[in-house]
Amino acid sequence: MKLRDIAIGANASIYLRMDFKKIKGVFYPRTEQEIIDAIATAHDGGYSVTPKGGGSGLSGACTGGNRERVMISTLRMREVLTVSKDQGYADVQPGATPDEINALIEPIRMKFWVAPSSRDIASAAGILSTDGGGNDTWVNGTMRDNTIRAKMVLYDGRRLTVDWNGVTSDDSELEAELNKKGMTISDVASAHGTLGFITELRVKIKPFPSEKLVGGLAKFEDCNAMGRALSELIKRKSPIRYGETVAAAHEDIREGLDLPLLTLEFPEDFASELKDILDYSDLDSEGLAKMKDVRIKLPKRNPNEGLQIALFEGFGYHGDNLLKMQDAIDEINSLLIGHGLALFARYGHAPSKWYLGDNSPAYGVILHSREIKPEDKTSREMFDTITDIVAKCNELGITPKPEHKWPFSDEEKKTRIKELREVMGTGFNDFILDPNGAYDTLSSLV
Amino acid sequence: MSYDRCVRCGSCIILCPVFDAIGEEQYSPRGRTYLLQVMDLIEEDKELGKEFRRLLFQCTFCGRCSEICASDVDLLKVWHEQRGKAVSEAPEEFGYLDALGKSLANMMNIYGLDPEDRAEFWLDELEDEIPGIADRVYEEGKTADTMVFLGCLMSFRASQMDVLRSLFLTLEKLDVDYLVMGAEEFCCGHPLHLMGDDDGATKLREHNKGVMESAKAKRVITCCPGCLIQISTNHNLKEDIEVLHHTQLFDRLLETIPKYKQEEEFSYHDPCELHRICNVKTEPRSLLNKMGVEFEEMDLSCCGGGGLLRMTDPDLSDEIIQIRAQKEKLGDRLVLTCCPSCREQFLGANLRTRDIVEILADALEGGEK
Repeated sequence: MKLRDIAIGANASIYLRMDFKKIKGVFYPRTEQEIIDAIATAHDGGYSVTPKGGGSGLSGACTGGNRERVMISTLRMREVLTVSKDQGYADVQPGATPDEINALIEPIRMKFWVAPSSRDIASAAGILSTDGGGNDTWVNGTMRDNTIRAKMVLYDGRRLTVDWNGVTSDDSELEAELNKKGMTISDVASAHGTLGFITELRVKIKPFPSEKLVGGLAKFEDCNAMGRALSELIKRKSPIRYGETVAAAHEDIREGLDLPLLTLEFPEDFASELKDILDYSDLDSEGLAKMKDVRIKLPKRNPNEGLQIALFEGFGYHGDNLLKMQDAIDEINSLLIGHGLALFARYGHAPSKWYLGDNSPAYGVILHSREIKPEDKTSREMFDTITDIVAKCNELGITPKPEHKWPFSDEEKKTRIKELREVMGTGFNDFILDPNGAYDTLSSLV
Repeated sequence: MSYDRCVRCGSCIILCPVFDAIGEEQYSPRGRTYLLQVMDLIEEDKELGKEFRRLLFQCTFCGRCSEICASDVDLLKVWHEQRGKAVSEAPEEFGYLDALGKSLANMMNIYGLDPEDRAEFWLDELEDEIPGIADRVYEEGKTADTMVFLGCLMSFRASQMDVLRSLFLTLEKLDVDYLVMGAEEFCCGHPLHLMGDDDGATKLREHNKGVMESAKAKRVITCCPGCLIQISTNHNLKEDIEVLHHTQLFDRLLETIPKYKQEEEFSYHDPCELHRICNVKTEPRSLLNKMGVEFEEMDLSCCGGGGLLRMTDPDLSDEIIQIRAQKEKLGDRLVLTCCPSCREQFLGANLRTRDIVEILADALEGGEK
């Protein structure tokens, strides 16, 4: 065993304590052929393959669970291959980050409009694998909405290309079978690397809008009031270009803010309509930048004493539960406190968009959650809290981890993945689909 | 254990020059921090421990990871502490540092040369050109407002002669009352600090402090950012002694400067230890602007020469500068900087480079020579 077999486990989730002896190979390919060769090594040894991007996701999928596995990183495949301004796309290697893509295309006044807070390290293929987005998914959609096609390699080395119309492949039988099943980009989105290894992506790029934007800061009595306002914004399909809430924060990081608050950026001519929906005060560009900075740093900050932990990254409030958001937050907070956790921060994208397991879009608030790491809890106790949270989400109709995803209890998505794997073959991140296995595995990694 | 505060977000990965050169997680700050976080799972494996200790010395100490870290992990401090721990745990693995340690212990310079030679090589070279320069060398009883601390590279390396010449010519031109520490200058202790051995540096620092104070210096200047770190933070000088980088002194003394006759394209490389650790960012640029110099800003990343990397892994150090030279197309440009160590790194990669003080001396003389 070498350090490279251990360091490959580095990721932002709480799942980090691995049995490193089960990592049977670590690869950092530079080309598609090197990916194919790495997969062949796994295939020959009978090991599962775990694709890994920037490791900034919080689902734990990039750990590969606890199986004997080969890890393939895309950290050395970060190039932008071609850019077509006229046709509005860029072909990128799987490890290219949004920041890297945009650094290259912003001089031609184009942008790749997917902006997770981890956009400096999150990989394009990784973002598609979680169907992630950022604070602007309300405007620009999630990664799937910004993906035109994905090239993939399967466990047996077969190659295919998936787009919104279906699948093409040199293997006509594979192509026919997958098209019969109606496979599209929606299936690759949020599949958490269970279908194959993404080797290249064609992503949408768009020009910067010319509209003049202004900023506003709204404060609310509680999150029920904020939820009602957001529900109205969603109903009216409001042109909110940036919407972020800080719903609660520990006093060490609150910086004197009255919470809950909602920071908004919107076209100037929407201001009067917005006043009908909620009370807000104007934010000048400096004030807006400050609020954005406060927000983007929240996931990485710590209390003065102790450490923050993303025990369960986020909650998707939508539909009716948006109107009773505070009540739902209170229920989840009670659950957390009951399990001995101290609350640290609640913040997130509002309004936002994500997709449910059946591929229907949901509109609401993605509220991120941070707690203070307890000193006296076992890994098992921590993981039991997570399973209780998932159960509570299901009871309340809240989407668990809508952004980074919680694939392990999404039965609809898992059923679809299994259906496709009957044609495509298995071999990738199999632990996610283990009956109850994922929970057992994850609990051992906390 | 401040590394526990790392949330492994990964923002530090792509910025790291060592990761950029090698491309594997264990060479990234996050990878190393993660290794520390799970050390209890692997510490029984002796080979892994050895590999980890080696890994700690494959770092340029550029501080970019500390700067970007939103979790406020003082990664430079972590690496410093871990290096010290590594050397004390397994000194037999660091035999290649012994020669340096012995040189510093016995000769008080990194080259193991006679301490008397600190003011020999350059004095021979510059004595005719700068009359009276020999009188500027400190001896007991001499005093001056400004003490010049040259550092080991500037004192002994022939490749730094042009910078020295320009430094002294400029000090003379500006009528600065100065002395050079000469044979009484001991290494600032920076190399020992980078080995995690601050105790070993104490004797050197105490000596330097004594000389600076006996010369009744009101300020100490140095061209070397590494020396600047050590003198300003670890020498415990009296509060009324100011420690400055040479660019800070000249920027302060010169409100206007004759325009520099520029005949080629310049890129400016900001030394990591100067701008990121000493927080000296504006003065080098201010000097260049006052001289009307046009320059392109280089990426704020490391030249590959820091953190003792030239000694601990010269191939990696070379690769880092080669990657930069290629990425930033430095082949056709002259690289301006203000650090002797960075300068050595550029020269080693066959890149043309000059210290800002060389440009300044030319401008004060009325044009480029």
